[in-house]
Amino acid sequence: MTFLNFSLLAGSALVALPIVLHLIMRQRPKRLEFPAMRFVQKQLDANRRSLRLRHLLLLLLRAGIIALLTFALARPSVKLPGAIGTQEAPVAAALVFDTAPRMEYRHENQTRIEVAQELGEWLLAQLPERSEVAAIDTRLGTAAAFSPDRGAAKDRISRLSAAANSRSLAETVEEAAKLLKTSQLARKEIYVFTDLARSAWPVEEAAAMRQQIESLGDCGVYVLDVGVADPINYGLGEPRLSAEVLSSNGSLSVDTELSCVGDPASRGVELYLLDLDGNEHKRGEQSVEAAPGEMRPVEFRLGGLEPRVHQGYMRIVGDDGLAADDTRWFTFEVKPAWRLLLAAPKPAARYALFLSQALAPEVYRRRGVARFDCQTCDLAELSTRSLGDYAAVCLLDPTPLEPAVWKKLADYASEGRGVAVFLGRNAMPTDSFNQPQAQELLPGKLLRQARRPDGELHLSPRDYQHPILAAFRGLSGSIPWESFPVFRYWELDEPKKEPKKGTVPFYAKHPSGRSGKGGLSPFSADGAAVVLHYSDGRPAMLERTIGGGRVLTMTTPVSDRPNEKPWNLLPVGEAWPFLILADQTASYLVGGGKQHFNYTAGQTAVLHLEKDQQRRAFLLISPDGMSVPHPGAIGRRELVVTTTDQVGNYRLLSGGTGEASLGFSVNYAPEQMHLRRLGEAELSGVFGPIKYRLDKTRQQIDRDVSAGRVGRELFPALILLVALFLALESLVSNRFYRE
Amino acid sequence: MPTAENYLKPEVINQIKRLDLRAQFIVKGFLQGLHASPFHGFSVEFSEHRKYTPGDDPKDIDWLVYAKTDKYYVKKFEAETNVTGYLVMDLSRSMGYTYRQELTKFDYSICLAAALCYLMVHQQDPVGLLTFDRKIRHSLKPKARRSHIGDVLSLLANLKPEGETDVAQSLIQVAAMLRHASLVMIFSDLLADPEPVMQSIYRLRHGGHDVILFHILDEAEVTFPFQGMVELEESETRQRMALDADGFRRSYLDEVESFRERYRRECFQAGVDYVPLDTSMRFDRALGEYLMRRSERG
Repeated sequence: MTFLNFSLLAGSALVALPIVLHLIMRQRPKRLEFPAMRFVQKQLDANRRSLRLRHLLLLLLRAGIIALLTFALARPSVKLPGAIGTQEAPVAAALVFDTAPRMEYRHENQTRIEVAQELGEWLLAQLPERSEVAAIDTRLGTAAAFSPDRGAAKDRISRLSAAANSRSLAETVEEAAKLLKTSQLARKEIYVFTDLARSAWPVEEAAAMRQQIESLGDCGVYVLDVGVADPINYGLGEPRLSAEVLSSNGSLSVDTELSCVGDPASRGVELYLLDLDGNEHKRGEQSVEAAPGEMRPVEFRLGGLEPRVHQGYMRIVGDDGLAADDTRWFTFEVKPAWRLLLAAPKPAARYALFLSQALAPEVYRRRGVARFDCQTCDLAELSTRSLGDYAAVCLLDPTPLEPAVWKKLADYASEGRGVAVFLGRNAMPTDSFNQPQAQELLPGKLLRQARRPDGELHLSPRDYQHPILAAFRGLSGSIPWESFPVFRYWELDEPKKEPKKGTVPFYAKHPSGRSGKGGLSPFSADGAAVVLHYSDGRPAMLERTIGGGRVLTMTTPVSDRPNEKPWNLLPVGEAWPFLILADQTASYLVGGGKQHFNYTAGQTAVLHLEKDQQRRAFLLISPDGMSVPHPGAIGRRELVVTTTDQVGNYRLLSGGTGEASLGFSVNYAPEQMHLRRLGEAELSGVFGPIKYRLDKTRQQIDRDVSAGRVGRELFPALILLVALFLALESLVSNRFYRE
Repeated sequence: MPTAENYLKPEVINQIKRLDLRAQFIVKGFLQGLHASPFHGFSVEFSEHRKYTPGDDPKDIDWLVYAKTDKYYVKKFEAETNVTGYLVMDLSRSMGYTYRQELTKFDYSICLAAALCYLMVHQQDPVGLLTFDRKIRHSLKPKARRSHIGDVLSLLANLKPEGETDVAQSLIQVAAMLRHASLVMIFSDLLADPEPVMQSIYRLRHGGHDVILFHILDEAEVTFPFQGMVELEESETRQRMALDADGFRRSYLDEVESFRERYRRECFQAGVDYVPLDTSMRFDRALGEYLMRRSERG
């Protein structure tokens, strides 16, 4: 605490005055004759005590008035942390602006960014001469640095705009604190321009921010609220497509949810698809009742789509405060029915019956709506057959194959294709399967056939995380796996070679206690992972990646007829789980889940190119219509686009004959659009022990910044206290010595 | 010009200095306020005849009856059932107190006593006067003559409230003095221990006397109008006490009320009329009380 007029404190000796007066010149009460004293006697003692107390109270009040008055005249002020005692000393100031898309929220004809800009420019003018100023925003990839002069800082503030790829404020403030640490100036200040949206202050990043600010020592932190107290907004969530690549005969569901902040209302949501010329065609419209704090589902179904890359968007009809989350873009690709080769021992058609009917039922095939085009061939034909025309090859209960055939299949897979092997009774002798060429493809050596004639064994997925099992996710409790017993399957051995670094071997505890190593039965393969387990914990389906391709090995066949001592009853009876499993397995093999067309802003878009799509260069057309050349590469299967900071639909054109047309969509990350504000308690939680000041108006900022630099003067509070004491004294003495 | 009823107000009657006039005005004012004559039923009207016996006043012989019957009869009047009243005045110093009223408790008592005396003599009731402090100081025998009013008023006018008092002892003395059943009207502020006072009143009642106890306090003693810090001094003992009047008022008033309530309760049990008065009250309350009591005895 400091005093402006320290010498005036000597005046506090005057406190002795009322004490002396009290002792010497005590005011005599009015004397009255009163005969009825007998009525007074009883209460006299209590009254005397109260009299004494009042005398004391009066004395204290009078002495307090003098003490407070001299104290106030000495002009004391309390120095807050970081105070430098003067307003004029230069400071190192970091002005941190939130430029997330939700700062485009418009209220009273101003976006939050515009309000922040206005306030920032005013604040800039208030900073002392020779201050070091840095204007920092939350745009990803911008480096924090002090502006060379105030004009440059002002210029930077005036050029602020919403950025699709934005980082959190906590992270940006942390970076600002790091920058301030490099300054030699004693006083450091951080001004955060925020709409106080909860999403800008993730708790997990707040700790690092606090640590950096604390490391600065005394640093003034000012949170400047440029938000709207009660925002009203309707927004669409992330668009979810049932598949990003689908067969021309399939249908697509696009769903999202409508969120609401503020007043509940009914809003229309429309879905548009774009044709090759970029013209919009409305394909769906829904009316949704939006309620605050609730996510209302919106779902559209699309069918009859021609094979090509399609782009479209969903939008909310009408305007609201924040336009950025009213539209969501999406891209998907429709391909012709995938050609699958089902190779089996003679008679191949008999072996392939269950699988081909599951993937392309006869009814669908006749109507031309089957997603897969299944062709069967003898295993013997594999050596001569060209596999390049097929999206995937399935070996059904294969007999021993020539090493060259195994090699051919491995090469085929490494080109990015899919191979599925359904092992069965014909896998004897196992030498052919355990030879090195076969082991290139298979996840492990065939060890022995495990028998479970009691019918107690069945498929039993541990979780549904794998894309093949994703379709079961919603039904996980109600799938009758027990109704489809497995009587026999192949046990696979661990491969001899060491697993690659970074791959996790899978071990399953065998219920019978038979174990390969320390009580655990290892079923591991180089880069192999278990997709599906049996109920005894052993692997039923394993996946292995070779080059860009996928190899799935099922340890029990799907071709056994129920009347021929079958290894399992998976495909018979009410076998709907088998139908889904077969369909998802085939989709996975043909790469339906490999291609991604939908990204959030800032993510790197990676598009898989078919051979016929590989070009030397592409033309990238961004959502704002700008087209820039984008390098492609012959022989490379991926096209990478890193400039995804605009939201909307991007197109990639190759031009020339046999034009390859690709595209992808970029949306805002949904969490960046949440307008729900932090409460004061939550904000205190973010800053923890760090003292910050939350201001909204210029007057508040002026007052708090001044208090932060100079300290807080106590004069007004003391004078108020003196007035209070005077009033009390007057009240008490008036009651006391009333005439 | 004030109406006669105004004379019932202490502040008005204070403007009249002569006590006989005061008494006259009070009674006139009081009677004017009544709708029916208080003299009806117990006045000096004829009641019956009886034979003259030696010793009877020859003035009372009804000569008309003698003319008719040739026998001496005397008229018997209501006056023969008259009430003998005693005005008993407290002379303590405390009776000379008032805070802000026109009349002190003593003045108020004298006015009241004079008016009652006036009223009683007019009704042919003999009235006597007793004054006391620690013991009985003055005594006037009861007489119903008009000239007696002058004697009573003259004595009343010369009384001065000074010195300490012993109400209980004095009343015991009064009880001992009175031979015949009388109406004893006590004027006192009763600022003494109630227990012996009530004992002495019981004595009076035991002697067959009717008692009206006029408990006269000053208005300030009833309302405690003081504010702030005051130092109170007892009139008789000169004892002093400093106190905060505002903080004290509630408990004081409770105390006075319980004091009065005690007298009210015990007097009721003893068949004594207890009339609590203060110096701001009109006189008619006291006079009304007397007349009611007189009517009961008549």
